[in-house]
Amino acid sequence: MSETSNDRRSTSARGRPLQRSRRHFVAGAAGASALAAARPGAVWAQASPPVTPAAVPNEAVMAEKNPALRIHSERPLTASVTADQHNFAVTPSDRMFIRNNLLTPDLLATEHRLVIKGLVERELRLAVGELTQRFPVVTLQGMLECAGSGRAAFTPTPSGTPWSATGGMGCPQWTGVRLRDVLRAAGLKSGAAHVAGQGGDFGVVASAAPVIRSVPLAKALEENTLIAFGMNGAPLPKVHGFPLRLVVPGWVGSASTKWVHTITVLDAPFKGTYMDSSYRIPRTPVKPGEKMPPDAVVTEAWPVKSMITSPAPNAAFKLGQAVLIEGRAWVGEGDIDRVEVSFDEGASWRRAYLDSSGDKYAWRTFSFDFRPRRAGYATVLARATDDRGNVQPIVPAWNPLGYFWNGIHRVGFVVEA
Amino acid sequence: MRRAAVAALAVAVAAALVTPLSAQDAEPARTLIAGPGAELTAARCGICHEVTHITRARLSRGEWQDNVRNMIERGAPIAPAEVAPIVDYLATYYSRDSAPPAAAEAPPAAAGDPVARLLAEHGCNACHALGQKLVGPSFREVAARYAGDAGAAARLGAKIRGGGAGAWGTIPMPPHPRLADDDLGRLAGWVLEQR
Repeated sequence: MSETSNDRRSTSARGRPLQRSRRHFVAGAAGASALAAARPGAVWAQASPPVTPAAVPNEAVMAEKNPALRIHSERPLTASVTADQHNFAVTPSDRMFIRNNLLTPDLLATEHRLVIKGLVERELRLAVGELTQRFPVVTLQGMLECAGSGRAAFTPTPSGTPWSATGGMGCPQWTGVRLRDVLRAAGLKSGAAHVAGQGGDFGVVASAAPVIRSVPLAKALEENTLIAFGMNGAPLPKVHGFPLRLVVPGWVGSASTKWVHTITVLDAPFKGTYMDSSYRIPRTPVKPGEKMPPDAVVTEAWPVKSMITSPAPNAAFKLGQAVLIEGRAWVGEGDIDRVEVSFDEGASWRRAYLDSSGDKYAWRTFSFDFRPRRAGYATVLARATDDRGNVQPIVPAWNPLGYFWNGIHRVGFVVEA
Repeated sequence: MRRAAVAALAVAVAAALVTPLSAQDAEPARTLIAGPGAELTAARCGICHEVTHITRARLSRGEWQDNVRNMIERGAPIAPAEVAPIVDYLATYYSRDSAPPAAAEAPPAAAGDPVARLLAEHGCNACHALGQKLVGPSFREVAARYAGDAGAAARLGAKIRGGGAGAWGTIPMPPHPRLADDDLGRLAGWVLEQR
């Protein structure tokens, strides 16, 4: 493993190599010692550099977004809407959550290449147009949710983006080619076990570790795992991975590498900071405040979860008027078996109507027609159960990085006499 | 020495700006609590992210250790000798288990300096120093480049507000859209005087 293997051999718009100046900067800014920092996985970071090193300013990103999107941090850019702004069967692009690890790269579709390498019979280097010419194009609705979605609901609050209990997820429609078709065209060698995507995003400092994450081969070969170029019938917005991204629906968002330019077939899980230090969760609960235990595992499929998208908190209704409770329920692998609602803080539960139609990894819509019997403040709770019998907990187990919050969602509203 | 003075101002101003905290603050503070290691922590952590990532957090020492290690893995330019003072600072002033020690008293002159306040509030100090190149060019280099340019103030102001890339190297300067017009003019004017 060498330091140079981590450099993006980018060229600027003027064709000037950037490598030297970036390295020079790090050495000058913090001394060579900074370069000695742990760089696991550097060996995989070398190939197929993105061509355009410019970053898209946050203002340009947010100009295409709905004003309901709340920014949680500007560097890196993270933003989401609240549950009551999520009342759509298909998440509109302008409401899709943003979770960058680094800057938003401004990539050119015409110059972008996707390299397939590692344990393959033949390396592929594909232009965006070649993907659609060579492989069947599919469109499907699929759930993406940041592993840390809901982090702020844990007590005590773990470190990281303070996503609310219902912030940091969305379920748009994706268009792309199946990752498995492309992997088969490259030909898998024996021993292939994991597939790593590398994104073309870069950081403020040249030493920023490349964003690389791998998924087990079985998930990479699943027919709903895509190399996507479209979102809701339009090209991917820049902040959502233009021109190409992975979509690994149902799994933590970090698996769905944005701006993907290299896919590497490996014989084991990728070794790197986005696998071994972040996106990990203990196998069994730890005491709040404790460090990550050594036997923690990488987060993969989301556990069963639901949110109430209507009514909005503190919405007012007239007594005698029906209150339509509506929401979405999802699980990373499997299907939603049922959703129940409670109007007495969980003492009793009533079955909600569940629309079970839709794509395999799309969220499900549930609804309940509630007729309040008295005026005053009222609450509704929703809890989903998946087809394996897993039910949403009241309070999920605390974990050091605050992942997988799937506690029961509760909304209060007012019934006026 | 003027650089040290500016940095000291920034920290002193931070102390003056920051009021008693609670983890439930709706708007996390945009500057760090003054104390040993605050300046180093702001300079290193502030390169890649706002210090609000720190000021909204209350973590145990172990979690801060993990956090800093994780950031170094992700490429944060933090030298090995800087890890202990940064972790000590974070574990002391942003602790889940204890309140931060009382902040040092700010020199009255510093607290009143509007430019020092702007430099601290908008994170300028994280990337720029008076005479030395950090992440971005020094303020003196910027002033020198614009020397003799009649439209310098407007051009520099637009650059500060909108961000940029390419003029000084490959590290893009993040935009600062929240700067009010008055503050922007004051800041640009001050930078252009640093020759």
